[in-house]
Amino acid sequence: MEQKIYAKIVKYVLVVFIVSVFFFPIYWTITMAFKPHMEWTSSAGKIHWIPKKPTLTNFTSLFQRKVSVVSPLSSTAVRPIVNSIIVSVASTVFTMILGTLAAYGISRYKVAPNLPFMLLGLRMIPLAAIIVPIMVLWAYVGFVDTAHGLIILYALSTLPFAVLLMKTFFDEIPTELDEAAIVDGYSNWGAFTKFILPLAKGGISSTALFCFILNWSDFILALTLTDRKWSTIPVYLDKLQSGYVGKLYGPKAALALIAVIPPVIFGLLIQKYLVRGLTFGAVKK
Amino acid sequence: MATITLDKLTKRFGKQTAVKDLTLKIDENEFVALLGPSGCGKTTTMNMISGILKPDMGKVYFDEREMNDVPAGKRGVGFVFQNYAVFTHMTVYNNIACGLKVQKFPASDIDAEVIKAAKLLRIDHVLNTNAERLSINDMQKVALARTLVTKPEILLLDEPLSNLDAALRNIMRAELKRLHLELGQTTVYVTHDQVEAMSLADRIAVMNFAVLQQFDTPYEVYRRPKNLFVANFIGSPTMNFLKGTYRDGKIDLADFDQGIIPIPDTCRTPLEKKLKNEEVVLGIRPEHLKLDHTDGVRKSSLKANVVNLEPLGSETIVYLRPQGGVDNIIKSMMHSDYVANLNEVKTIGFNEEDLYIFDQGSGDLVFTF
Amino acid sequence: MSTKIEQKNTVDKSAIKEGIKFGTLMVLPAQIMFFTVLAFPLLSGIYISLTEWSPLTSGGLKWYSAYKFWSGLSNYWNLITDKEFLMALFRTFIIVATVVPIEFFLGLFIAFLFLDKFPLKKVFHTVLIIPMMIVPAVGGFVFYMLFQSSGAVNGILSIFTSQPVEIVWLQHDVLAIIAIICADVWQWTPLMFLILLSGLMSLPEDQLNAAVILGFSNWQRFRMIVLPLMKPVFVIALIIRGIEAVKIFDPIWLMTSGGPGTATETISVYLYRHGFVMLEWSWIAAAGYIIFILINIIAAFALKLIKEKHREAA
Repeated sequence: MEQKIYAKIVKYVLVVFIVSVFFFPIYWTITMAFKPHMEWTSSAGKIHWIPKKPTLTNFTSLFQRKVSVVSPLSSTAVRPIVNSIIVSVASTVFTMILGTLAAYGISRYKVAPNLPFMLLGLRMIPLAAIIVPIMVLWAYVGFVDTAHGLIILYALSTLPFAVLLMKTFFDEIPTELDEAAIVDGYSNWGAFTKFILPLAKGGISSTALFCFILNWSDFILALTLTDRKWSTIPVYLDKLQSGYVGKLYGPKAALALIAVIPPVIFGLLIQKYLVRGLTFGAVKK
Repeated sequence: MATITLDKLTKRFGKQTAVKDLTLKIDENEFVALLGPSGCGKTTTMNMISGILKPDMGKVYFDEREMNDVPAGKRGVGFVFQNYAVFTHMTVYNNIACGLKVQKFPASDIDAEVIKAAKLLRIDHVLNTNAERLSINDMQKVALARTLVTKPEILLLDEPLSNLDAALRNIMRAELKRLHLELGQTTVYVTHDQVEAMSLADRIAVMNFAVLQQFDTPYEVYRRPKNLFVANFIGSPTMNFLKGTYRDGKIDLADFDQGIIPIPDTCRTPLEKKLKNEEVVLGIRPEHLKLDHTDGVRKSSLKANVVNLEPLGSETIVYLRPQGGVDNIIKSMMHSDYVANLNEVKTIGFNEEDLYIFDQGSGDLVFTF
Repeated sequence: MSTKIEQKNTVDKSAIKEGIKFGTLMVLPAQIMFFTVLAFPLLSGIYISLTEWSPLTSGGLKWYSAYKFWSGLSNYWNLITDKEFLMALFRTFIIVATVVPIEFFLGLFIAFLFLDKFPLKKVFHTVLIIPMMIVPAVGGFVFYMLFQSSGAVNGILSIFTSQPVEIVWLQHDVLAIIAIICADVWQWTPLMFLILLSGLMSLPEDQLNAAVILGFSNWQRFRMIVLPLMKPVFVIALIIRGIEAVKIFDPIWLMTSGGPGTATETISVYLYRHGFVMLEWSWIAAAGYIIFILINIIAAFALKLIKEKHREAA
């Protein structure tokens, strides 16, 4: 169905405009990360579209213990970055193990059919609503401001995705394969590990990356349950929001860039599965 | 009802040519089958006739009117898709009626037409059912009714029977024939099944690899195939092909030890005029290839061994391996109670007028007796 | 003969039992995690909500001695009539009711634009979906930066009005909400775009072509074929986004901390501030349960609506 040429041009202009608008905040953050102090703000309506004197000091200042830059915290960005990496990776591994096993059981043996729905229900409740009792428990068992404390909660919060997504991937593998393996003499576990898991490799890696992105992006759990030792990047960014430090757009933009690079890269890698992930497996392209 | 003229239609998708230089004229009320294997270009041709696709080159005419720039919705064609494409969220009634509603027919007339079409196709009992709940057979009828109710001048059917199971297919084939006789639309029917094409069509357009191979009545396509492809595609079981070399008035068959076919003197000159190459392919249909000097055919010197027997009830197919041949198997259609033992040697008999000589290089039919 | 069949039946039955045993084992770790981590908070939450205990009161963190501050259902009664709490709920409703439709229709519009082919389509598509991969807290910071009085938004407005614009967005009740809405729309419209585009591209092409050949105009085809076929995708997209929008916290906290005052305090911000800044734990435990009940009511209501619509269609 061919269309008139002028309609095509109008549509294209719209697309360019809309995409530019959506790209602008990213562009601004990228350029801000390289702008020197003078160019951070635009007074009298003048915008610095491109840094006139691009510099790397914003990035370096994040990692130097310069009292003038990051006091009152007098701490660098190193620990939060390391914490984010450790906690996100560990919780992803944890939730993937639990979730994949459970998804296989639900998909093949029809056990616990209500578990997926209960997990979905978990995602419906604002975390802030249940975080007080969790905090009480965590304080009681001494899990506050610990790695394992955060990892367990992160794993729980992304468990719904792990289970639901892996279930859709397992459902796509015909059961005849399991049956063939069992007829060949493999145990249930053997059939699972040697035949089905390798076939689900694509699903596993995309679900894992998806859960990683979610864990990495968490804010409120880390905000409430960590303090100095185990805060993650978002919490650190928030701590920099107040007072004099709040106006230091350059280093904060640099930190923002560092923070978003892993999720953006992983997100683009698993583009194909994003819709499936974000709709809990309801929509599969 | 309109005639359809296709003039040098060409359509490319990227680097692939789907239809190349297609020219043919379909008469009023004619039922034409577009026959060929998957990917030969028949559905693409249909889409150009309906207006869904625009040809890269060439023109489509309905009667004398050039249709290239006429949008699909205004061409007055009816199209039945291979998987029916019934509107799954609508009832049967609404499916059939929507074509009329959309063209702003008066509501009172719509109702009468819908019921008439539903009765014609015997689906009036499911008028209020949701279309997605229907059996495949009923879905197909809904697709037909929906199309017929708009009284199109041209009816386009894209493999409408291939999704039905065998028994239903035969019934629907008869239904389609009946409908065509009753309503008389100019019809183009796409299929890869040569039996369907042969039984339904007034003329068959055989296509392969985007190119029209032959456009003729079923009998002509069967009796005078223009090239190896058509000869092989039409007829079941398929024609026997024997490679050979023509020299000095004789064809030396590669598959047989003593396989020499003499060409009568009267035929030598016409044959040699048309032959571009001394490599030929001899074709003969299994129904014309007889064994044991039966059925009044001339005996030849060719001998072959029986390798298999296929009793089909109405006839028996005998599979033979030529003596001296490589791995070629030839088939002979014999009467239903024919018996033979494995490896028995048989002498092959046939009549000259049932032979086809093809040029091995181009595949074209070069000579018949 | 019959013994062979009996044997086969018992073999199958035990194989099935084995399978169920195995399946149960597979689900067990996840179930244990889920129930143990949630069981205690769910129960202790009820207990705490019936007291007036807080870590600031005497007793410190010893939750089990919370009974000393027993107050029964008074927390619940007070919450239902608490102006701040109700306002937080109301603000949440306003933001969700604004943000979700904007993201839905804008995403749908962009999805339609992306149905045709055009140069650099893949590049534009990739750039367009990046915002939804940005850490929401970072997104909040970015928009905080943009909406500063000396920030990019004012800068761009200055170019258009050729006058210096120095709006202090984040210090003004309504303008701060607008800024937050901008942040959310920026972050999540790409998500709606992605889901809706995926739905549009999975529409059965034959049904669409059939409609064209039958003489449907573009508008008729959209109204009578595309929209009904897209309904399931629409519902999923709206539900997914609606649920997440209610929970909105990160951008608000980064941009305004709920301010100025409580002008941008949605329910999550309210819960966090009273829970972890003012440490009113029993108050928030009760609030948490009220919200839990509210969500269940809404979900049950929505499910009923969906089931009724299904019955209508059938």
